[in-house]
Formats: sequence, C-alpha cells, structure tokens
Amino acid sequence: MSKKECIAMLLAGGQGSRLGALTSKIAKPAVSFGGKFRIIDFSLSNCANSGIDTVGVLTQYRPYLLNSYVGSGEAWDLDERGAGVSILPPYATQEGGSWYAGTADAVAQNIGYIKEHDPEYVLILSGDHLYRMDYRKMLKSHIEHNADLTISVMPVPWEEASRFGIITKDPEDDRILKFTEKPEKPDSNLASMGIYIFSTKLLIDALEEDALDPRSSHDFGKDIIPKLLEENRRLYCYEFHGFWKDVGTISSFHETSMDLLGENPEFDLFDKNFPIMSNVTTRPPHYIGSDARVEDCLISNGCKVFGSVRHSIISTDCVIDERAVVEDSVLLPGAHVKAGAHVARAILGENSTVEEDVKLGSVDVTKDTAVVGNDVVIGKGE
Amino acid sequence: MINRKAIGYITANYTCRTSSKLTECRPLAALPVFGRYRLIDFPLSNMMNAGIKTVGVVMPSNYRSLIDHMESGRDWMLDRKKGGLFLLPGNAFGASKRGMRFLLRDIIANKTLFQRSDLPYVVMCGCNIIFNIDLAEIIDAHERSGAHATMVYCRAEREHDDDVTALEIGEAGRVHALHAGCSFGDNKFLDCCVINRNVLLDIIDNYQDVDHLDLFEAIEPEFGRIDVCSYEFKDLAFGVFDEQSYYQRSMEMLRPDLNDRLFNPDRPIMTKAHDAPPAKYCTGSTVCNSLVSAGCLIQGTVRGSILARDVIVEHGASVSNSIIMQSCVIRSGARVENAIVDKNNVIPAQTELRGTPDATLIIPKAPLATKELATLD
Repeated sequence: MSKKECIAMLLAGGQGSRLGALTSKIAKPAVSFGGKFRIIDFSLSNCANSGIDTVGVLTQYRPYLLNSYVGSGEAWDLDERGAGVSILPPYATQEGGSWYAGTADAVAQNIGYIKEHDPEYVLILSGDHLYRMDYRKMLKSHIEHNADLTISVMPVPWEEASRFGIITKDPEDDRILKFTEKPEKPDSNLASMGIYIFSTKLLIDALEEDALDPRSSHDFGKDIIPKLLEENRRLYCYEFHGFWKDVGTISSFHETSMDLLGENPEFDLFDKNFPIMSNVTTRPPHYIGSDARVEDCLISNGCKVFGSVRHSIISTDCVIDERAVVEDSVLLPGAHVKAGAHVARAILGENSTVEEDVKLGSVDVTKDTAVVGNDVVIGKGE
Repeated sequence: MINRKAIGYITANYTCRTSSKLTECRPLAALPVFGRYRLIDFPLSNMMNAGIKTVGVVMPSNYRSLIDHMESGRDWMLDRKKGGLFLLPGNAFGASKRGMRFLLRDIIANKTLFQRSDLPYVVMCGCNIIFNIDLAEIIDAHERSGAHATMVYCRAEREHDDDVTALEIGEAGRVHALHAGCSFGDNKFLDCCVINRNVLLDIIDNYQDVDHLDLFEAIEPEFGRIDVCSYEFKDLAFGVFDEQSYYQRSMEMLRPDLNDRLFNPDRPIMTKAHDAPPAKYCTGSTVCNSLVSAGCLIQGTVRGSILARDVIVEHGASVSNSIIMQSCVIRSGARVENAIVDKNNVIPAQTELRGTPDATLIIPKAPLATKELATLD
C-alpha cells in the first residue's frame, strides 16, 4: 500500500433517533434528502471534490440500505485501485468482538484500516451534515499550524450556541483554549462542526489510551478532545464560512430542505463547480399534467404531478394525483398523494401513501411538522 | 436468475433515409430522445433486462458521441470480467438504406464475436425502432418453436411506411417471404430477432458472395430449409426514420398511459447516469403537459413540451409544443413554438422561433460555449 497524505473516516453508524419515523428502518445517512440525494452524498461528494480517495464508512445501525447504496464508491468516482470506499461494520476477532460503543470507539476498532493505508493525517467526518467544503483548505491550515488536531468551526447565533460543542480560541493564532460540549452559558459562539483532522500517530495513541479508560464514553467530543486539551496538545480551529446544517432532527430536516428552494438559495444544488454526486436509479423525466400547478419546487425524475404543488421538494417517483394539494412539504422517493388529499408542512416517508381526500398537516408554523414513516398508508381518520 | 442463453448484437451504424440537422452532428443511435435517453438505450436496456451479458455494437463512422454515451457499458451492467461490451467495426455501405438493418458484410466481419461465445442464441437489434420488450420471453418462445431464427414484428398502424420490411407469415408463424415497405395491418419487422448461433455461423461461412445483402434477404430463397419463425410484439413500438416521425413519437410520450408502458419499471430503460439535481420550478413559472428532466431551471412558461437535462427557461420566456435538448437556455421574453432546439443553444431574449405542427422548426446543435470547453476533462 502506497503512502497517503489523508484518508477520511465517516461516522455513519448512529441511529438518528431524532429523525423519528424516517430512521425506523434505515440509518440516518441513508435518509433521502433534496429530491434525489441521500444525506451521506454530501460528505462523500465533499471527499471526492477534495481529492480524498480513501474513505472508511463506519456503519452499525440498520446498515443494509446504506451499504448497498454506497457500494464501492463508484457513484462518487471513488472506486480507485488502492483506494475507494470501504464499509467498516463492527467485527469479531480471536479476542471476541463488540458493537461500536461511541464515535471514538468506532474509529479505534478500525485502527487496522488506518494503519493499512498509513496516511499522514486522518479526517473524521459525520455522515449527517449538509455543507460543501474543500477539506484541502482545512488540511493546509492543519499543516501550517503544525497541529495535532484541527477542528472545523463556524460562528453560530448566540442563542443556539448551547446546542453545540463550543470552542474558545486564542484570538491571536486560532489555537483552541477550551472546548465545552453543549454549555449552558457559552462564552463563545464558535461551534464545532464535528469535522476533525488528526495527525495519525496522535490519533492512534489517543484512541488506544481512551480504549483502556473504563470511565470514558469513547466519544470524540466528550472524551478525546478534552483529554488532548488537558495534555496541552496543539489543537487549532479552522473557521468555515458558508452553509452548514445538521439535518439530524425533524425540524432541521424540514427547514434545511425548504432552504434549497427559491431562486438564489444559500446552498445551491445547481452549483456545477462543486457537484453533489449520488448513486441514482435511472428514471424517466417527470411529467407535469395538463391541469397541474407547480410553483417554487424541486421535482425529481420519475414523478407524475396532476395536482397542485407549492414550495415543496418532490423526490424520485412520487405521484400527486388530480385535485391533490401539496405545500411546504418534503415528499421522499415513491410517496403518493392521492386525489383530493391536502398535505401541508409534512414529510412523507419513502413509498408512503396519503389516501384520497385526507387532510394531513397544517401550514401553521407553530405546529409540529407532520411525519409519515416509510411505507405507511394514511387513510381517513388517522 | 441470469439468463445465460444469448449474446447480443446491435447495429448502431444505420442512419435515416433523409439527412437531417439532427443527425448531421451525431449517429442516429446517439440521437437524444424523451428528455434524457438516446436511441441506443432501448436495445441495450432490452438486452440488459433479459440478462444478456455480452453485447457487440456495430459502430458508425462518427462514433464519438456514441462512445461518450456508452462508456464501458456500466449503466447496462456490461462492464463484465466475462463478456461485456464489444465495439465492432461497421461498414458505411447501405447505412441509410430502407428495410432491414443487419447487413451480412458486418456480420461476417465480426464473426469472432459469434465464434467466441458458447451460448446457443444471438439476439440482434437495430436502433431505429424504440420499444421496451421482454427478450427473455422471446428467447424462450424461440427455443420452444424449434426454429432456426425468430423475427419479431408488430402490426403496422400507419398507411405507408417505406422504411421497414413486411413479413409474410404462414402456418405455425413461419415466415415465408419479405416485402419492402409496410401498409396498414402488415406484419412490420422490428429489426429484432433471435437466431441460433450455429445457424448464424453457417450463414457466415456459406453466403460470403452475397455479403452486400441483408441477413434475411440473403437467406429468403431458402426459407423452409432455414426455419424462420415469427413473434408478434403487441406493445408500443415507435420507428424514428425522419424529423417528423421523431417529433410526433416524442410528443406521444406526453400521454401518461403511453409513457407508463414504455417506461415499465419492471423492465427499466437505463441511460448514462448524470449528477444533475432535481428540476427547479421558480415562483411565477407555469408548466403543463410536459416532460421535464433533471437539472432544468424553470422561471417562465412551458406547455406541451419535452425538456432535456439542464435546460433554463427564463422569466417571461415561453416554450410550447417543442423539444428542447440538453443545456439550452431560453432567454427572458423569447418564444419557442413547434420547434426542436438541439443541444447547447441559447435563444436570445425577445426572439421568436415558430414552426408549425406539420413543419417543425429545427435549430441545429450549437457549439459548446468557451467557458464550458475549458472545464471539460
């Protein structure tokens, strides 16, 4: 195996319980997003667009769809000899085996994979964030600082700061002074984006040490980073400016989906300089019927629209029948809204059905977004 | 289960009888159709859906766009270790001829493809006729019939069709004779057949002196000794032989019932995969009775039209009863009616392009803009 500068480890094993019905059958990174994509496409496309050709995808929760979707990484042009995408599930050895106990444990159990590729640096990514980033710029900053660990950060609104891992930095040189997971009284609004670049030797040492600590929860944010700070290691931050959203909750999933609409969205799927790639099935162009009304929407291949759709995202192979109305909603692949039904501010799971004349959801933004699970049929009175 | 009974042979070196602006810049097999497909997608997908893993494609002389489209054959599962996609040399002779499209000279020149296989059958297809067919069922029917070859036909639905061949069919579906041209109700040959591989190899060895003929023309005098059966295909089949038939067949796909039949998800039609995002409809856009492909951005009005990938229709622009190919931009206030606008055209603001339903206006393919050229690999 030739020596590599940087490989990526993509954490894709979480259950994504905050996405409720959407992740009852599939892992969060495999959830459909933006009409024709799945959430993991954004991280994998970032890797491909950043020239990172070796990606380990750490899977654990309901991995089947995710594994078959990612495959050998061919859809992202990552199926290179001596590189490519490897699915890394928990495994057994002569000493036994165990599930991944935390983000750090997942990577620790795959130190062998890292050693086999023998990179200078390891990029740790989450599989559930929506953003475009050229990781090469972050790596350059890591090298310039001669850092042990670089954490990508971005300023967030102060009132939201207590939802994130918050970083206090030295204003002179971006060195990290303090890292607090979800602080009640944040003293900074620089949030960790969950994107880390480690120098490989330090990562391996830190993970091996952490594995032996019975008090550790084996999590990067809670255990590894505080420990490295305590040891006075060279931790730096890399400030990112641009669109970055966590799509891990129903409300952020809905809101971020709606952010894709409009003529000049902040996150533009149409940006050809940094394409988002996906492993799609070939379906014919979508059909808009003679009496259909379509406004302010994204509509994917294979759809048929005979009713009215406004301010919504319609994924591959959805059908909206005559007299049906869909507004402020996200229809995941194969969803069917039957004649006369009215769907507002809802997320319809894959291959779900809303029966004729059913009213689902409300445009009232103070109400919760309605969510229909994959394959679920919503009839009258439900 | 994978059907390991046949190999495929596609003749992609034929064009259409009248020269057209649409086929001046590309072989007919690579002609874009129904928004995101090209004609060759149909025979390739039909073979894929029958589990055929070895396909030889007889190439036209101007093959660039065809190779660009097929690449390694990956989208049709043809990037195989065993078998796969084979690009074969083709003859320019007779490329615009009427009738059948299996020139014996090309078959003889590519004997190796047939010799190397150990499977009993060869499925042959042209590219001019669009249909979604269950070839596995036809191979089975051929096997049951015990015939040496089976020709696939449908009932002709138009008064006169000079571009195809009629089959005279007798008892037990045996083909007795061939006639150039078809009338209403005739048995129209669909340029699709199954033939026993060893029979084909015999023909290759014994008919070299008439290699200027089509395969079935050459063996017609010996129908009987060579047992040729027929199979009636009862679903949609669209021939593309000139601009008018191309336009009309395309517009018929705006009927959802026909569209569902051609794009039956049980037998998917595959094409080269692209990473275009879903189409975006802006506030103020009006779209009805149209097929719209991925990557389109629509601000204006689109009626009764087919839009290929990455088409932009700006505010105040209108497109009706037209086919707009990939990466065209219809600028603000422009009007396009009864037209076929080939790839990469930018229709300037406030211009009007009008054809009539009987005389479609054709705007030929435009060169790539310099900026785009710079970003090509």
